[in-house]
Amino acid sequence: MKLHVYCLVEPVETLPTSLHGIAGVLVRQLDIGDFSFLVSDFPDRSVPVTRGNALAHAAVIQSVLRETTPLPFRFGTLVTAEQLENYVTAKREALKSRLEQVRGCIEMNVKIISDHKWTDVCPAIETQETPGTAFLSEKRREILGSEARAAEAKRVAEWLEGQVGEVVRQSDIKTNLTGRLLLAGAWLIERERVDQFRIKVAEARQQRPDLHFLLSGSWAPYSFANMDLEFKTHFGVS
Amino acid sequence: MSFEQIIVSGSGDSLEEQELSLLETLDHVLNRGLVIAGEITISVADIDLIFVGLNVMLSSVETAQQVLRERQKKSE
Repeated sequence: MKLHVYCLVEPVETLPTSLHGIAGVLVRQLDIGDFSFLVSDFPDRSVPVTRGNALAHAAVIQSVLRETTPLPFRFGTLVTAEQLENYVTAKREALKSRLEQVRGCIEMNVKIISDHKWTDVCPAIETQETPGTAFLSEKRREILGSEARAAEAKRVAEWLEGQVGEVVRQSDIKTNLTGRLLLAGAWLIERERVDQFRIKVAEARQQRPDLHFLLSGSWAPYSFANMDLEFKTHFGVS
Repeated sequence: MSFEQIIVSGSGDSLEEQELSLLETLDHVLNRGLVIAGEITISVADIDLIFVGLNVMLSSVETAQQVLRERQKKSE
């Protein structure tokens, strides 16, 4: 029997009780060293990615977030108790440091979508082109459009950071995206400043009616939880 | 402070707020969070997630599908 791990928290007395997680199994608290993990038993070797399971995972973490700031684990983290103990032994200081970093904070996200047609920055040349030159001409438009899009994404990211920077503790903004999505930002914010952040985003939105803003939160600090990029994902087949 | 995951979208988006909220949740639980090396084990067959062309997310699932397609090609 393995354990599905939802999140790590500093031991607190007010963790929610009677939580049900993936497959409706009761979530329990497992204390290892200075940390508490919320886990539930899971009998199979892989966790099916279904809407219900994903939402159950998120709901457990969200319940904890109401009481304290957890470090959320990624969906599908299946371990034995022994593996978890080894993990704590190996990462104890890093985990403490990361918990300290997010203490008292939540994460807010903003995604910005643009309807701009970036290939229009370089108009098509109206000449009698051979298929080869037509292809190259179109390719050139795509490349120039992509460059213009990347430059605009960077400008918007800097502008948005300027708008909200004074009320956030940490930022993680990605601009190397594709399609209509211009940027995706995550901000770590002290709980008492979240309303200020919402106001700042609302003001920013009024300044740029040409852009679509998707604001979501409050989240556990998913974007600020990972400590090392080295991981391997196993894809099973149910 | 509210802990509801509120989505404020610009006008003209065709997705309902409920769908956007679901997609945002999936983006977080599938793509982010602490990882214990080698211990993410998910199953992607019989998937019932919703897929939309908003370029918002699901890179994890897209990657999974790609792996499955490649497996299928090899077995053919």
